[in-house]
Amino acid sequence: MKDTVTSPAVPRAINWNRLQDEKDLEVWNRLTVNFWLPEKVPLSNDVQSWATLTDAEKQLTIRVFTGLTLLDTIQNSVGAPAMMPDAQTPHEESVLTNIAFMEAVHARSYSSIFSTLCSTREVDEAFRWSDENPHLQAKAKAVLETYAAGADPLKRKIASVFLESFLFYSGFYLPMYWSSRAKLTNTADLIRLIIRDEAVHGYYIGYKFQRALERESAERKAELKDYAFSLLFELYEIEARYTEELYDGIGLSEEVKAFLHYNANKALQNLGFEALFPPEAAEVNPAILAALSPDSENHDFFSGSGSSYVIGKAVATEDEDWDF
Amino acid sequence: MLDRLNETLDYHALNAMLNLYDAEGNIRFEADRMAARQYFLQHVNQNTVFFHSLTEKLGYLVEEGYYEAEVLEQYQPAFLQKIWDAAFAKKFRFPTFLGAFKYYTSYTLKTRDGKRFLERYEDRVVMVALALARGDEGLAMSFMEEILSGRFQPATPTFLNAGKKSRGELISCFLLRIEDNMESIGRAINSSLQLSKRGGGVALMLTNIREAGAPIKGIENQSSGVIPVMKLLEDSFSYANQLGARQGAGAVYLNAHHPDILKFLDTKRENADEKIRIKTLSLGVVIPDVTFELAKRNEPMYLFSPHDVQKVYGVPFSEISVTEKYEEMVEDKRIRKTKINARAFFQTLAEIQFESGYPYIMFEDTVNQMNPVDGRITMSNLCSEILQVSEASEFNDDLSYSKLGTDISCNLGSMNIAKTMDGPDFGASIETAIRALTAVSEMSAIDSVPSIRRGNDESRAIGLGQMNLHGYLAREHVHYGSDEGVEFTSVYFAAVAYHALRASCAMAREKGMTFKGFEKSKYADGSFFDKYVTRDWLPESETVSKLFDGIALPTRTDWEALKSDVMEYGLYNRNLQAVPPTGSISYINNSTSSIHPIVSKIEIRKEGKIGRVYYPAAFMNNENLEYYRDAYEIGPEKLIDTYAAATEHVDQGLSLTLFFPAEATTRDINRAQIYAWKKGIKTIYYVRLRQTALEGTEVQGCVSCTL
Repeated sequence: MKDTVTSPAVPRAINWNRLQDEKDLEVWNRLTVNFWLPEKVPLSNDVQSWATLTDAEKQLTIRVFTGLTLLDTIQNSVGAPAMMPDAQTPHEESVLTNIAFMEAVHARSYSSIFSTLCSTREVDEAFRWSDENPHLQAKAKAVLETYAAGADPLKRKIASVFLESFLFYSGFYLPMYWSSRAKLTNTADLIRLIIRDEAVHGYYIGYKFQRALERESAERKAELKDYAFSLLFELYEIEARYTEELYDGIGLSEEVKAFLHYNANKALQNLGFEALFPPEAAEVNPAILAALSPDSENHDFFSGSGSSYVIGKAVATEDEDWDF
Repeated sequence: MLDRLNETLDYHALNAMLNLYDAEGNIRFEADRMAARQYFLQHVNQNTVFFHSLTEKLGYLVEEGYYEAEVLEQYQPAFLQKIWDAAFAKKFRFPTFLGAFKYYTSYTLKTRDGKRFLERYEDRVVMVALALARGDEGLAMSFMEEILSGRFQPATPTFLNAGKKSRGELISCFLLRIEDNMESIGRAINSSLQLSKRGGGVALMLTNIREAGAPIKGIENQSSGVIPVMKLLEDSFSYANQLGARQGAGAVYLNAHHPDILKFLDTKRENADEKIRIKTLSLGVVIPDVTFELAKRNEPMYLFSPHDVQKVYGVPFSEISVTEKYEEMVEDKRIRKTKINARAFFQTLAEIQFESGYPYIMFEDTVNQMNPVDGRITMSNLCSEILQVSEASEFNDDLSYSKLGTDISCNLGSMNIAKTMDGPDFGASIETAIRALTAVSEMSAIDSVPSIRRGNDESRAIGLGQMNLHGYLAREHVHYGSDEGVEFTSVYFAAVAYHALRASCAMAREKGMTFKGFEKSKYADGSFFDKYVTRDWLPESETVSKLFDGIALPTRTDWEALKSDVMEYGLYNRNLQAVPPTGSISYINNSTSSIHPIVSKIEIRKEGKIGRVYYPAAFMNNENLEYYRDAYEIGPEKLIDTYAAATEHVDQGLSLTLFFPAEATTRDINRAQIYAWKKGIKTIYYVRLRQTALEGTEVQGCVSCTL
């Protein structure tokens, strides 16, 4: 094609029947059946439970959620779009658009929680807090720097996996903790839906990172690994202080940190690296760990919607099915 | 990394270890037992109010208005001492953490600030026994004996409330008709509020309400159809709850041939608009045989305007059989109709079930053909196990009744199959349970909803259920859904039916009265008994015969004798059996739920009041795991076969949930529905899905996450 340089590049029509990487379709299918909207969760059933929290606990909960909102916003508006030009296959791009959209749904769902449980004043105060909190801002900046235009595509993926698989979890801890104490159980259901999505996102981006890394030189591999660990150290420092600021008040900082260690290891595993924290340091309270699994939960349908329903595959019945 | 097992962990953490394998890949049952122990040491014992003697305790509880004085005054103090001593002598212990935790958080009597416990498990059991026995010492003793031994477990409303001074009703379930007029709709909403306030789930039938766009007073396009009524009901149920103890809960049923049927289903779509989305109200669809026939022939199905049907036939839409009148209505110009594709309808049904688990299904013609009493069954309830006849009410402008119809209530209780099989006298256990449930019916008078009161007074309908089938079979090394498993189910349920009828007949004889309409029932003319006097319902295989060793099973001669007794003396209860899903009570009773297969070896239970708790299947240990294949592994066919064997002997319904892996398609669900209908299943409760975690994203070492 010898056309003028000014004409925009026309992307090729995407053909899902010709896959370069089967994983794209597998993850696409998983993400689409997992589609959900916050409206499906009867959050208002948590109103009574919310009223039993102390003021300090309420403030903590709202702050945690504004922190999570910020991370989802970053991933939706900057992270996922920034990775799109790096995509190796057109299908990867499609998966990333889905990821971007679901991050927007996540950010939206925290607001659903707020509008159901809290007063406008409390929410505004918490958003102001998140705008001003140095640790939260520091972690946002650390990630955003790697997302910037011209940055190394693989470093972007590293940062993205850390965000999806590590940074969220200081916040996810709290609703899991509440639900193991029989509080805010519907909110926990919603968070579990988010966790279900983030787990797939972190896994997928990590997978793409590993495929790309295979093609790199030994030197470059070492550089990226160094980078990953030093970024994780940096983020961990910030996370630890962020955690203390949030959780010291209710005496949970140590437990949350163990949970951070566990998830840091998990994030490294997604990238194909070895664990950083020894198992003893990553011993999570079993009640929290067990609470993470969304599968096959048995609930009382009349007061909650659960987190295991999906959009099914529609297949028409045939004559033989109606043989009676 | 998770191998620490020590007493410094709190009971929630210990309990959660059940869901995480140990280093050898074994399930840590001992962690759960330790959790139950720690729960008593760390929490229950420290927070229980102490009394020096029974007299002091009862005096205090009556004085302070916790216990109903009238219940205790029916007995001599010496007897009270005796029954309490007998109860505590049994040394009851909760075998699982969830059982204990559920009991102490949701059932036991607490001080008014909710902080301290006033009852232990034995106290609750004795109070329930005393309340239901109404002064009969012998009966009180046997109620206590049956409940505490775990053979009989009253349903939550009865077990929670009996004997308490400020309490909700003892009845589990209510079913209300709604007719096609504003008075009836208004009255139904009021009744829903009243019933929710007192506890119990409420189901309402919407089939008779005219569709969206139907004329009102002859002016076209005036009616808004069923959706706005559903919205009103949903809000009513969120508003009213039983002293905060239970969330109000409701269900609505609609006939598949109602013109609003697709809108009705769309309320549960993942992307439904907020204005029409229904979150907490449960949905049920009533499907007649003709719908299956139309789908078989791949023809369109016609939907009929209830308003016109009522004008033409002079009775509400629900009172006619769509199967019978289908061709006639299709030809009748006076009935406006729309058509949809029948197979597409079934597919839509399955799509919605994928997304939400709803709707329930009631197979209308099967239900009515198997109904032994006079009248028509038009709906089911919140758990799809209640199937009774009802009668429309008519109202004056001020909402008073111009004609009082009957609505439905049902009080439930379940036998623990394993304990009943182990028990000393099978027939006596069933009889005692029937008498306990009948007592609940006799003690109840719901004056706030006169149609319910009348229905209960005239029918004394009860629902004896069963639970722990899977636990029992597994303990006996029989696979759920195997030929022997199905055979056991058939023999067991036939024996239960026999003793239930025998007990009800005995009460009719003692009291000299029968339920209203007995003379028009198939019991009265004896035709109900045909299938029992023309063939045996006894074990055939060696395995199953062995299971019934030492239990006297009814023979054809016994059935003959029962038939003539029933024809002579009648039955006291119009309805006797209904198999509910048994959530909470099966945890307290250490059972697997209902006659379902287990959902998981370690069940994750989430509930508003208790949070996330883990529950091991009854009688499971690291040696007999092979008999604990879960519902997803067992698959829909074996489950349906098991239910079909039980359905044969149950006069009402059974809550049957279908389980599919998330990779299944709508076609798989449709095929299971067709199979269920073909096998004579009456209702289908939820459809449940399990999605396996994407490889690489699962929580490691988690019991309930592995297939």
